[in-house]
Amino acid sequence: MNMNTMNESHVDRDDERRLLKDSVRAFVERTGGASRARALRRCSPGFDRSVWREFADLGWLAVTLPEAYGGLNLSLAEMAIIAEGLGGAVAPEPVIEAVSLAAGVLSHAGGPLAEAILPQVIAGTLIPALAWQESTGSYSPDAVATKVQTDSQGGLSLHGVKAFVPYAEASDGFVVSATDACGLVLFWVPASAAGVTLTHHRLATGASVGRVTFDHVPVTEDNRVASADTAARALGLAIEEATVLASAALVGLMSRVLDITVEYLKVRVQFGRPIGSFQALQHRAVDLYIQRELSNAALADAIKELSANGNSSSAHGAVSRAKARCSDAALLICREAVQMHGAIGFTDEYDLGLYLNRALVYSAWLGNSDHHRRRYATYWKDRAQGVAA
Amino acid sequence: MTDWNAMDDEDFRQDVRRFFEQKYPEQLRYPLQRLRWAEIKGWYLTLAEKGWLAPNWPVEYGGMGLSPAKFLIFLEEQERWGVARTPDMGMTMVGPLLIKHGTDEQKAYYLPRILRGEHIWCQGYSEPNAGSDLASLKTSAIIDGDEFVINGQKTWTTLAQDATHIFMLVRTDPQSRKKQEGISFLLVDCASPGITVRPIANIAGHEEFCEVFFDNVRVPKENIVGEINQGWSIAKAMLSFERITLGSPKQSQYALGRLELLAHQRGILEDPVFLDKFTALQLDVADLASAYARFADVVRRGEALGPDVSLLKIWATETYARISNLMVEAAGAAGAMGGKIDFGAAQIDVLGNFYYARPAPIYGGTNEIQRNIIAKNVLGLPS
Repeated sequence: MNMNTMNESHVDRDDERRLLKDSVRAFVERTGGASRARALRRCSPGFDRSVWREFADLGWLAVTLPEAYGGLNLSLAEMAIIAEGLGGAVAPEPVIEAVSLAAGVLSHAGGPLAEAILPQVIAGTLIPALAWQESTGSYSPDAVATKVQTDSQGGLSLHGVKAFVPYAEASDGFVVSATDACGLVLFWVPASAAGVTLTHHRLATGASVGRVTFDHVPVTEDNRVASADTAARALGLAIEEATVLASAALVGLMSRVLDITVEYLKVRVQFGRPIGSFQALQHRAVDLYIQRELSNAALADAIKELSANGNSSSAHGAVSRAKARCSDAALLICREAVQMHGAIGFTDEYDLGLYLNRALVYSAWLGNSDHHRRRYATYWKDRAQGVAA
Repeated sequence: MTDWNAMDDEDFRQDVRRFFEQKYPEQLRYPLQRLRWAEIKGWYLTLAEKGWLAPNWPVEYGGMGLSPAKFLIFLEEQERWGVARTPDMGMTMVGPLLIKHGTDEQKAYYLPRILRGEHIWCQGYSEPNAGSDLASLKTSAIIDGDEFVINGQKTWTTLAQDATHIFMLVRTDPQSRKKQEGISFLLVDCASPGITVRPIANIAGHEEFCEVFFDNVRVPKENIVGEINQGWSIAKAMLSFERITLGSPKQSQYALGRLELLAHQRGILEDPVFLDKFTALQLDVADLASAYARFADVVRRGEALGPDVSLLKIWATETYARISNLMVEAAGAAGAMGGKIDFGAAQIDVLGNFYYARPAPIYGGTNEIQRNIIAKNVLGLPS
């Protein structure tokens, strides 16, 4: 289904979502599912630009962006359907990274740069990346050493090193967080700007993660996306949304791995019977199923909370709850899947490795389960103190 | 007569909440053991007088006639306020059983006596060699003239010492092809000659369950429910709703609050070792509540619960057990002390929770059986 026609249709929301789910599934089946990820994993940039254009045609790059920029202005719930469906096929295209996170910051910040860049993102002709974390790996948006400096003539330049930038090598430009005299600022820097250099590291999936050096990169006021509270709010909200979508991708991934594993238990015969008839394996499979169901429940809560309450601590708590559960569950299910398959599960030729590697990437990205439990505890303590006071 | 089902859900919830908060005895909230008849009789009669003893029975039989959705709200509020279970087998099992399968005479005789608190029922299912494998039960009922003659033994019969009646599964056809096929459902007066009830003390020292011996106990033939040898399918059909009620998050939420209080009093709430475990449990409970809400929505939509509801029973009872385990740890040296322990601002029964958490993964179908159910009926794994 082409989503660009969705707003005009008169089907109700549940039907819309069902259609969207079907269309993502149809895409995955048509394009070969995990085998596509396998074919692309050691190439640069690690995904298929023609598929990216197809996503643009389908309207998938426009889902959550406002109509003012040519977007569809649909909710996080619709985007989560896409993330979950693509996650189930380990699709390597950086939809969450480029569109929900990087373009999401621009969209929440608004202004002339959003107007200029977002229509190109929606058209699939420009891929942005968010460069916010630094080598410490801190998840605190204001823990930045990167600075915007003013020289004696009043000219501005950006100086610092950003780490953990997904798909940096494929990106046409960066939304960069930094500080100036007044606090947090966000600047847009084209990848081709003088003074921008990249080094890459391969992720478990084979995709690249970049370290981007901004060496006194000259910028102007026209490059300023947002400052102070507006910058913090835009950055914060986009990170929360991308965290929920990473959780959705993990749910899609773990569901697929659980299906593959349950199917294997039914057909693999040892001692003259399917190994899935052994209670030891049945009960382990059920425990994985329970984790998948809890992940589903936590994800649904996070979507609902974040959509309703945005930058509130109750929404952040729900986001952390979902990311903690989904990260742990995905890794558990993938590890158990390898064990329950036996040696074949450890081969490169079998698809499980693709899923395990993607689970490692998305579990670590935007905070692993430890990080999010810690964050949840912080909100809870704040709340407890608020009640006590 | 109020048409409860016509009420707005939230209004109904508030009505139920207000009644529990005003009428339920404070000292009986959140008991960590099943209460004996002498302790809970007053509350039973309060409910009876209000007409709320049998929320799920149709109005024509003296119930509240609640839809499954409204009944769930009633149970949720009961849990929320820590209202103890009464000896409720008459309401939850015998009533619905008779209303569906009983004769007019059975309904007319038994139902009003349950509602008056005259008959207290217990459940005679398990036997020494028929626990999870319930269909292997051996207690026999042989027809002799106008009577069944029962011989055998039931066990783990909760509060049989307070019961006036027992409903039981008995073997009426020892030659049946399948063991499930020779079983019937009988109603038995506990005053019948030949019945001996022997209470069994549990780990916590409470006598909550009993052995019940049957030595040539004679029961009128008309005490059978449904057809002879059809008892198994009748009993099986009655279990589905139980799994969502056993999967409620309320007990875990309450226990988590007690654990927090305990940790606060002991000054370890900020301790990273404790906090790590505690936060993981908070998330487990929050996710349980979300999962529960999804199944409650199924009930609310008037749809039947599928076999996947077993996951709630597993996760709820095992989460509560983990909370109670951490309570013991967090109590430190006091973790070995019985009864309510004084932690300054709070008195907390640490071992009470620990003990109370043990049977929940066993009763209502062990969690291993629940896992078998999911493996076969949800995941489709082979036998």
